[in-house]
Parts: sequence; C-alpha cells; structure tokens
Amino acid sequence: MTTITEQEPMVKATITTPSDREIRVERIFNAPRDRVWQAMTDPKLVAQWWGRGNKLVVERLEVERGGHWRFVEHAPEGVNGFEGRFREVTPPSRVVQTFEWDGMPGYVIVETATLEDLGDGRTRLVNTSLFHTTEERDGFLQSGMEGGMNESYAALDRLLAKLA
Amino acid sequence: MVQYSRKLDTAFGALSDPTRRGILERLGRSDAGITELAQAFDITLTGIKKHVHILESAGLVTTEKVGRVRQCRLGPRRLDDETAWIETYRRLLEGRLNRLGEFLERTKEKQ
Repeated sequence: MTTITEQEPMVKATITTPSDREIRVERIFNAPRDRVWQAMTDPKLVAQWWGRGNKLVVERLEVERGGHWRFVEHAPEGVNGFEGRFREVTPPSRVVQTFEWDGMPGYVIVETATLEDLGDGRTRLVNTSLFHTTEERDGFLQSGMEGGMNESYAALDRLLAKLA
Repeated sequence: MVQYSRKLDTAFGALSDPTRRGILERLGRSDAGITELAQAFDITLTGIKKHVHILESAGLVTTEKVGRVRQCRLGPRRLDDETAWIETYRRLLEGRLNRLGEFLERTKEKQ
C-alpha cells in the first residue's frame, strides 16, 4: 500500500498564451489514458471532480458529435451554469467542445483536448482554448448559412433543369 | 496580481445570480436609486441592498448617498471586459485540471 508521500509529486500544469485569444495548458496525469478519458466523459465521475468542491449537477453529457453538455455548480455564493456542444469526439484521444458560462452569454470558448498515452501508465493532456466573441460567432453562422443556401439554390437549379 | 485575481473571483460570484446580472443591465441604461431597483425587480429593499452590496464589493457598482436616496451606477469594473473573463476562465481551467489530477490520484487504488 503506497501513501501519498511516497508517490512522485504531481507534474504541474504548463500554461502558455500563444495569442491573446488562446490559452494552452499542458499537464501530465499519473494515470493511464483510458482512465483519464473515463473521468472526463462519465457523468458519475465528472460530478466528483469538476465542481470546485461544490455540488455539481451534470444535467447533460452527450459525448458525441453535436451532443450537448450542461453542468450546474451549486456554490455558496450562487449557482453557476456551464454548457456547450461537442464538435469532435475521438475516444480516447481527442475531444473538441464549446464552453459557455451563463454569466457571460455569447462568449464562446472552443476547447480542444488531446490525450497522449506516454506508455508508462501516464497521460499527457494538451488543452487549447480559443475565445470567440458573439460577433465572430455570428459571423461564422452567417457564412455557414450562406454556403448552405448556395448549395440549396444549386440543388433547386438542377431540379428545375430536370423538370424543364 | 493576487489582488486582481481575488477581485475577479468576487466578480465571478457576484455575476452568478440572475437578479444581479439584471441590476447591471438596468444600470447600464441609466443610474437608479435603491427603491427604484427594488420596484423594478419586485424584491424587498433589504433584498436589493444585499445584491447591490455584493456588486459593490466586486467593483461592479458604486453607490452614493444623494439626500435621502442611495443612488447606484455602474462601477469602475466592467464584466463585459473580455480580458477579465479570459483571466477568470484561465483560473477555472487551471483549477479544473488540478482537480482532475487529484481525482485520478484519489481513485487510483480502486482500479
């Protein structure tokens, strides 16, 4: 039976800011990759560590592309809701998801986490967070919609040509 | 820097309440007295004073006694200040990863 004092000290996180809109955090966990992935994606496990020691209600955690997640933290000074959607899910190595706090609606952060198996029972996590303002997000939506509309018009053109 | 971060935490707590966010939104349009705010949000004077006090401690609101009325207006700190949010988020993220590490250590024996 090992005690805490006999264990290697935990590796501290390395935080860098590649740009003023980006935060990169690298950290090594003393656990195999599958366990880290499980702790990040199993609602029962997430509830045990995500909430800063406060009660955390995992309202939704749909770990799949397009899936929604929403956590509500019950802190002494108030209730904090956090939510987003999964954009990419590749177990157990990569997940891309959006992050929004109810207190700053419209400020969407895109988090990309990659888990690397170090082969010695440890795992390296690299998390990159990219900030977007409402204006930028709306810009994306608009351009996406334009693209979609052009495709729809092209399909309509083809259909009309067939009918002619 | 420590002081700055502590203030951000206070601001984070202050903003976790929908009524307090509403007060900020209301004060963003124009200054208002305590009584006026209490009426606008349909809560007691004591209740609104408590909310205003929390916002004031966070630097989000300042108050000034004008005659018999306590007038409230937006404080020097603006939480639409994106830099402040990025800093708060950075601290949340760092804390989150530390807790994940602690959790993995704590549950190690069970595997």
